[in-house]
Amino acid sequence: MSPAFEAYLARIYTDEAERTLFLAAPRARAEAAGLAPAEAEALEAIDRDGLALATESFERKRASSKQRVPRR
Amino acid sequence: MTDLFGLGWRPAIADRIFAGADQLDVVEVIAEDWMARPAREVRALRTLAAHVPVVLHGVSLGLASSAPVDPKRLEAFARVAALAQPLFWSEHLAFVRGGGVEIGHLAAPPRCAATIEGTARNVARARAVIGSAPLLENVATLIDPPGSDRGEAQFVAEVLEAADCDLLLDLHNLHTNAVNFCFGEEEKKEREEEDFLRGIPSDRVRAVHLAGGRRVGVPGRAGVTRLLDDHLHPVPDAVFSLLERVGALVPHPLTVILERDGLYPPFEELLSELSRARASLAAGRARRQAAA
Repeated sequence: MSPAFEAYLARIYTDEAERTLFLAAPRARAEAAGLAPAEAEALEAIDRDGLALATESFERKRASSKQRVPRR
Repeated sequence: MTDLFGLGWRPAIADRIFAGADQLDVVEVIAEDWMARPAREVRALRTLAAHVPVVLHGVSLGLASSAPVDPKRLEAFARVAALAQPLFWSEHLAFVRGGGVEIGHLAAPPRCAATIEGTARNVARARAVIGSAPLLENVATLIDPPGSDRGEAQFVAEVLEAADCDLLLDLHNLHTNAVNFCFGEEEKKEREEEDFLRGIPSDRVRAVHLAGGRRVGVPGRAGVTRLLDDHLHPVPDAVFSLLERVGALVPHPLTVILERDGLYPPFEELLSELSRARASLAAGRARRQAAA
């Protein structure tokens, strides 16, 4: 997977509007973002439960990181 | 050389760590905690390092990426490393940004060849700037990493080989991923954990993280949960059992760090968890000797 794939993941992990559009039509939205067909196919099979939880978790971390750095 | 047991340094428990330093073999310091501090406060890091051996842990380099690591972040990390003079430093097998967008936390990367190659390149860059290679840490994830074409153990083993790095084995992260992707099947979870421990090169395991977490519900899916590695709860029994299994697999000395990021119990409880960790590792080592 390319840096563009990671960039698109970062976008759907952080941008609720883009995530909503993506979940409505994953392959089309990924291809519109310039991803290769294999990358768009990989995103079509995304773990939707995991995406919902991960994005919630990232959002909480971003909110708390205004006070301190993230860590795990 | 013997096993070392210690705690993650956090500002909220700094005074207790200073006061109880004689009960710790080592303290793990988050590099980013010290990057933007005034010189007066950074001197405290030197004071800490004079009292107890320090290891340095990074959370924001994003080495596990097909994109190049930011050289300015490496330079900032190197400045902290020069002050702390750590026994070793470590970073996560995670990406934390992409296309200029900061995710704000550690994201599990696609487990694929491009990430392995990119991580090896980033480790080489880091080694050149910081002066040594990091231990690389397996990460917990709530989402099955998109774009993956291999399992986690294989991915970790291939990264360690390609980057010529040792492993910081986070046992709660291992446990979390096994729980999250066994979908309620206990036997599958235990098989996943065992397969992971058998699938990574035991000679490259140098350090261990212990932590706790909690179940979180999937939005809109009543009764469906996954495990969140939040570092806010005691280390579960399952993780101590994994540490015993590590003791049976790894003969050489390990550095074992208990991570706690909040909801702090009395300091004695943290020391008690470290005592249990010593006992678990020792039990595993005894099993290994008995089987030899």
